[in-house]
Amino acid sequence: MPELTADLGACQGYANCVVAAPDTYDIDDDGLVVLVRTEIPEEDRARVEEAARSCPVSALKVDGK
Amino acid sequence: MTDQTAVLRDVRRGMIPAHIYNDSETFALEKERLFGRAWLFVAHESEIPAPGDYVVRRVLEDSFIVTRDESGEIRAHFNMCLHRGMQVCRAEMGNASHFRCPYHGWSYRNDGRIVGLPFHQDAYGGEAGFRRKGQRLLPAPNLATYNGMIFISLDPDAPPLEDFLGDFRFYLDYYTRQSPSGIELRGPQRWRIKANWKIGAENFAGDMYHTPQTHTSVVEIGLFREPKAEKRKDGATYWAGNGGGTTYKLPPGDLDERLRYVGYPQEMIDRMKAAWSPQQSQVIGRDGFMISAASLFPNLSLVHNWPRVADSEAVLPFISIRQWQPISENETEVLSWFAVDAEAPEEFKALSYKAYLMCFGSTGMFEQDDVENWVSLTNTAAGSMARRLLLNSRMGLLEDGVQVSPTLTPDEFAGPGTARTGYSEYNQRELLNRWADHLERPQPRAATVEVGTGHGPDSCDAEPAGTDTAPRRSEGDPKETRS
Repeated sequence: MPELTADLGACQGYANCVVAAPDTYDIDDDGLVVLVRTEIPEEDRARVEEAARSCPVSALKVDGK
Repeated sequence: MTDQTAVLRDVRRGMIPAHIYNDSETFALEKERLFGRAWLFVAHESEIPAPGDYVVRRVLEDSFIVTRDESGEIRAHFNMCLHRGMQVCRAEMGNASHFRCPYHGWSYRNDGRIVGLPFHQDAYGGEAGFRRKGQRLLPAPNLATYNGMIFISLDPDAPPLEDFLGDFRFYLDYYTRQSPSGIELRGPQRWRIKANWKIGAENFAGDMYHTPQTHTSVVEIGLFREPKAEKRKDGATYWAGNGGGTTYKLPPGDLDERLRYVGYPQEMIDRMKAAWSPQQSQVIGRDGFMISAASLFPNLSLVHNWPRVADSEAVLPFISIRQWQPISENETEVLSWFAVDAEAPEEFKALSYKAYLMCFGSTGMFEQDDVENWVSLTNTAAGSMARRLLLNSRMGLLEDGVQVSPTLTPDEFAGPGTARTGYSEYNQRELLNRWADHLERPQPRAATVEVGTGHGPDSCDAEPAGTDTAPRRSEGDPKETRS
């Protein structure tokens, strides 16, 4: 299953990902991204990837099949 | 500012200084002391039925996002980013799980809590520089609903909405609760008229007197069966709580017959009978009065009429809710909604909408007739001669205060409050007396909210500790709004 990862060192707390896919991304009290899930079902992949691409500092990616 | 004592005193005895319909100082006082305090209608729950649904509505210059958050709670957020004050939502209505400011990209959940604050660490040094935790868009100081109608007040100490509405709720139900499901709205149509906002509110509150004159042509073309002079004065006006309105006297009959007379199908009548109290049914069924126009102080009006929609004697009832939103002392934005019982048959809804559009809304014939008068009045009220004129708004009272027609007894009019038949300006005086009560009472300076610091009420709507830490899942397929 495709896997979602976040680079917490890169994250700047824009929350674009949260706005795009709130079922997958959130922001914690420190203002950093929290992945609600990391295993992404194929049917959600396009939407979760689009949210990842909306990150201004490229902190998110979806890998694998 | 000029001393308003004499103006308010004259208003209280029913003598209206004509300039109050176009005077910048009066308007400045209204902004501070009336609109800064009163309960004001902003939306109906049926306009935002699903989580994430929102409409953006104003209270004078203050923009509010009225939204149903992910948990279904209705909220009104002041539409101003906590950072540089940009509007975070610039659409008029839609569905969004979050609102993102177009200026620097701060974003907020639809419950108002901040979620995205770019470079919090680098730019502010994290929490030590800017306390992000607990920050949220400023909520309206007060929010409450009645029959799905959402009201807000900018006064944190406003009395409960139910107390404010008082016995006017009895009459509001005729418009907004014809079945257990309540109403659904279409609209609003919005347009601006160069008229003072008070004129429309007064007109709908009790002006049965203008109907045969102002709306002559509507009667002449046969659109309307009722507003003939001799018909209108047989109706009753009532005032209860903070609102009042007009009625028509219907021909003899029982409740069912009278509701059929104004065009309701039997299945809707059956639901009304179940939804209304015995007294509410009696006003129509026993006493023969059918509600028509009404106003709730300060600037909300309602109308229920039953025009002919085809070349026959058949009529169709419609309901409109409208707000006279002040822009300035001589300009008003009218918001006009069509309202209909949510359980009404689809065919009825379609025809009732047609009936509404013929009479009211931006192209409605009654609307055009009315506004011509109101604009002209407003224009003339701006000059120096208007300052010499005290308009007599004492209709229904002799000089010594004796009533021209007696108050109806509970046997004649089952509704609460005070009701009388015939032409009068009791309701206009009720409205302007409340206006005077507000204008003479200074509004205390509101508490300020400091953003991002440890000072003052930093969490404007504090949540129990700990609720902010766990990531939240959002349901559905919410879309964002971007500028």
